[in-house]
Amino acid sequence: MADELKQFTETFEKSLKPGALKSSDERGNCIWLTVRQSDLLQACQVCMANDSVFDSAFISSRGNEPASSFIVYYLFRSAALGKMVVVQSQGKEFDAISADVNAARWDERKMQDLTGLKFTNIPDSRPLIFHPESEMPDKHPIGGKQLIKPKNQDYPIAGTGMEGEFQIAVGPVHAGIIEPGHFRFHVLGEQINKLETRMFYLHRGIEKSLEGKNLVESLPMIEQISGDESVANSVAFCHAAERAFSLTVPKRAEFIRAILLELERIYSHLADLGGMPTDVGFYFAASRFAVLREDMMRLNQQVSGNRFLRGICAVGGVTSDIDKSKTFIITKTLDEFLKRFEAIEHTTLTSSTYLDRVFSTGKVPKSAAEDLALVGPVARACGISCDLRKSLPYSVYSDLSINESMEANGDVLSRFLVKASEVKESVRLVKWLVHNLPSGTLSCPVKLPSDEEAVHFGVGWAEAPRGGCTFFIELSDSGKIDRLACKTPSFRNWRGIETCTDGNIVPDFPLINKSFNMSYAGTDL
Amino acid sequence: MIIETLKSIFVCYTDHVSENSPDPDIRAVALLLKQRPLSRFSRSIHVRMVDCGSSNDVELEEGLMMSPRVDAERFGIHFVASPRHADVLLATGPVAQNMRNALVRTYEAMAEPRAVVAAGDGACTGWPFKGSYALADNGSGRVEDVVPVAVKIPGNPPSPYQLLAGILKVGMILDQKRREMRKI
Repeated sequence: MADELKQFTETFEKSLKPGALKSSDERGNCIWLTVRQSDLLQACQVCMANDSVFDSAFISSRGNEPASSFIVYYLFRSAALGKMVVVQSQGKEFDAISADVNAARWDERKMQDLTGLKFTNIPDSRPLIFHPESEMPDKHPIGGKQLIKPKNQDYPIAGTGMEGEFQIAVGPVHAGIIEPGHFRFHVLGEQINKLETRMFYLHRGIEKSLEGKNLVESLPMIEQISGDESVANSVAFCHAAERAFSLTVPKRAEFIRAILLELERIYSHLADLGGMPTDVGFYFAASRFAVLREDMMRLNQQVSGNRFLRGICAVGGVTSDIDKSKTFIITKTLDEFLKRFEAIEHTTLTSSTYLDRVFSTGKVPKSAAEDLALVGPVARACGISCDLRKSLPYSVYSDLSINESMEANGDVLSRFLVKASEVKESVRLVKWLVHNLPSGTLSCPVKLPSDEEAVHFGVGWAEAPRGGCTFFIELSDSGKIDRLACKTPSFRNWRGIETCTDGNIVPDFPLINKSFNMSYAGTDL
Repeated sequence: MIIETLKSIFVCYTDHVSENSPDPDIRAVALLLKQRPLSRFSRSIHVRMVDCGSSNDVELEEGLMMSPRVDAERFGIHFVASPRHADVLLATGPVAQNMRNALVRTYEAMAEPRAVVAAGDGACTGWPFKGSYALADNGSGRVEDVVPVAVKIPGNPPSPYQLLAGILKVGMILDQKRREMRKI
């Protein structure tokens, strides 16, 4: 591994202009490369050419307000190295990489809105988090630049220009029990020509609110990012903080975290599996899946005291134990659960009315999934391997063998099959983890390192039910957060839905949306 | 597998709601059901929900409230698609700046008598993002600062039975409002 790493740094340096790479460093499962501002675009292209996948982009002003310069971080996942590659650069203005890397488009629009910087050559410069029709603050949240309020004409939504095409506007308040978002369908008759989504109605300013908070205060806020990813988000946040402070988590705590992650995956997937039959009118299966989900929520309550498994993860370990009586309850409930789950899965997949609606509906082309760097079950249904538990393993997952479920078709049925087999795989993992739970302490003391380095950086990730989430954290010496940035799987996958609706009929859209089942709150932060 | 399928058809999965239940939330619901008056409103409540900034947790619990285990439909509670059909607006929060207009317009579209329920700690107090630049009304984020609130349901998030109890309470308030309207 060390040779591969050296080779990577050498190729990287060779492909750039002399003097472009200022420093390279390996710390906390990441390779940190500092490059000259003018060579940033080229550095990102070199990373992409070396089989790395674009992960996320973050910006920071190091807590300075008003900020004279900003630091941008572009993160790439390198499965070959098993590490995250961080390309960072400091400057006053930057070239947009989204002209080359399509997946970075929303990231750069978000960075523009947060800081007020203008990225040069950005293909889409419309505001993302600030809506022209709503009130907004006077200053940009990061760096404190004066905010020039966008006007309604700054947000044009264009159709395909075909004759006879008209628009259907849906949202932000929808008909069902779901979160707010705006969908603009450009339709010709019943067929969708083009779909554009508009998110960020739920923007609550989480990243800014976390600044100045200590690690204990911030966890309840992290859990509010997205309800059914509470554990995954807090685990990824804990990984980031633990890497920044070089903490080693006890083995038992790692096992308990993994149990919670897999329990979360089960109940979260059950919502999607039940939602797809609901949207085709197959209520028998939908209500049975709902019963199973309620039972899993009650198991969560018994295991952790909260139906969303909140309040257990903490930096350095976990706050409460899973003792003998709880392991007994988990094993017993899951054994019975699996039998009932398989019966209802069989019923659903042998129903011709259901299969007729889901087969070949909402096909995501594999090329589009790669282009947009989609993650989670959506990407796995297109045949792209992207499970962070396997490609960038963390904590116990480095010793576990996980069967990654893959399908090739990319339609709604494939996503159903992937999610169903992930539920069964998670049940297997929880039972194994509970059976092999090691003894020991639950947490390690959180000691702040006393070196001269003023700011501590950390990048943490975890595989949430919807895909990988990444946290970036800057901590001051006293253990307070200077800047926290987060990219959730929902943020990565929203643009994927625009690629797969073209040519489908409008009544199939709820079904496609449910099969993706992204969290709106997790996107908008 | 055949036995499991037959079971899923014939076994009743719905909870028994009684005052002797070990779950305090179920006991509270049973008590409210006993108290509610014999009027149209408290027996059939139509709810429109608006998520103004919660982290989809309250929405998931609302979904489970309508699932066969809890089955709020048996107490006359329905979720409707349009605010024009609704008696109750179930708002979850904290209210984000970008959702403020949508919340106000949904409330204005409802016919009298109407009432608002604020569900979850975020909607009741603005926790935990109080003071953020992106929350409505200078970062307060409380639903009651935007539209008048009749019942508050605290919780992180409130469980399905707590939500059910809150909606049954607002049914009684609606009943009173209707009587007052008749007098005029």
